[in-house]
Amino acid sequence: MNKRKMISSICCGVILLIFISPFLWAAEDPGTLVMETIDRGLAVLKDPSLKGTEKAHTRRQQLWEEISPIFNFEEMSKRALGQYWKKRSPEEKKEFVELFTIILKDAYIGKTDTYSGEKIVFVKEKQDEKDYASVQTKIITNTGSVVLVEYRMQSNSGKWKIYDVVIEGVSLVNNYRSQFNNILMKSSYEELVQKIKGKNDKEKT
Amino acid sequence: MMKKCIVVMLIFVLTAFFSAKALPAEDLPISVSEEQSGGKLSEDRVSGNSDDDGESSESGQSEVEAEIPPVKDTLRPFNRAMFVFNDKVFHYFFKPIYTGYNSMIPVQARVSVKNFYSNIRMPVRFFNCLFQSNFKGAGTEMLRFVINSTVGVAGFLDPAKSKFHFEKQERDFGQTLGKYNMQSGTYIVWPIIGPSNTRDTLGLLGDAALDPLTWVSFLFLQSFESIGSYTYESVNNLSIDKGDTYESVTKPAIDPYIALQDAYLQNRIKKIKE
Repeated sequence: MNKRKMISSICCGVILLIFISPFLWAAEDPGTLVMETIDRGLAVLKDPSLKGTEKAHTRRQQLWEEISPIFNFEEMSKRALGQYWKKRSPEEKKEFVELFTIILKDAYIGKTDTYSGEKIVFVKEKQDEKDYASVQTKIITNTGSVVLVEYRMQSNSGKWKIYDVVIEGVSLVNNYRSQFNNILMKSSYEELVQKIKGKNDKEKT
Repeated sequence: MMKKCIVVMLIFVLTAFFSAKALPAEDLPISVSEEQSGGKLSEDRVSGNSDDDGESSESGQSEVEAEIPPVKDTLRPFNRAMFVFNDKVFHYFFKPIYTGYNSMIPVQARVSVKNFYSNIRMPVRFFNCLFQSNFKGAGTEMLRFVINSTVGVAGFLDPAKSKFHFEKQERDFGQTLGKYNMQSGTYIVWPIIGPSNTRDTLGLLGDAALDPLTWVSFLFLQSFESIGSYTYESVNNLSIDKGDTYESVTKPAIDPYIALQDAYLQNRIKKIKE
């Protein structure tokens, strides 16, 4: 029984590989790009030499190096600030992108510490226009529940990068934009930056 | 006596409300309300490369500006207070309990408990499928109930999903009202229950009326028994993944109140669109 299962899964794998291989050559395809990046990230999480809490730091660092190049943090920052972005000086913009990148890094890389064999499956990809695409995936947890995750991507001279992640209909960028908007309606931009810095410092300790 | 009166009144109000809202809309195709259809697409098309801050991105920015829907939150001081209260209850009451519960009870057992409760709640999903004229969904729910109550050992297992691939149809009354173009109204944070809005509060009442567990608690259980049952169910659900979901929204946030509000509203819009 087990042997048969194994053989059939190997066969499936081979057939899949044959089907996928043409896509692999055209690596610029957004769906494959996302899935390859996810697979590289999962490989880091599954790596036995990087398991355990004492290795958390190196593991996070390595994971970050694998997945961060696919994100366009500047575009994410710009969309998260919305109308307030254009009022900022180039230095402020640069600082903001750095701060926002740290927020996202702390929030989502830290979450991977509890990774326990969740599967990530490709659902479909959609290219709305020439420069915009969305890649839909789902995470299947150990308890069998499914979380839909959509990556919104933008192509910049042929290079696809993620500018928003939508989890169960909740857009990450919109979520931060609501928060930033709410703060900026009542207080100054400097106060917002202070708040973000305070948050980032708290994460470090 | 009082309890029965309340239930009867509730049903009456709901049926009156529902028939008033739903019947005229019956021959119209179910469509999503304005707040959902707007925005998203135009936002996707925001132009401007990341390295130029010139004219092209200016036009993109104005689209971003125009597109932010104002959130109706007239009860904000109350809501903020409730949010803080709920957050404390989560961190100091529920979280310690469910982490302990987690370490004692294996995952399979916890999922079985969730399946059991969810199987009893089948009428909620079944009727909401019908209200949303999703007859296929209603049929699926009926089949799931029959399979899981028998082969699935009174609902503790979910063979309907694992063997027959009948997925659970998560439909609720708030969603039904949304599908009939009822506006979401103002945002409300209820103690313990958490984020909601006017529409979804009506939805909660509707679901409670359709829920056999409500009837069982009203008719046969002492109040402490039903509170116990609901608390246990919440702890069990939190231990599976709800607790994580809450924390992954509020923990990375600069303003957790707004983050949860936005996440709740965005998620509801998606559910109504489905």
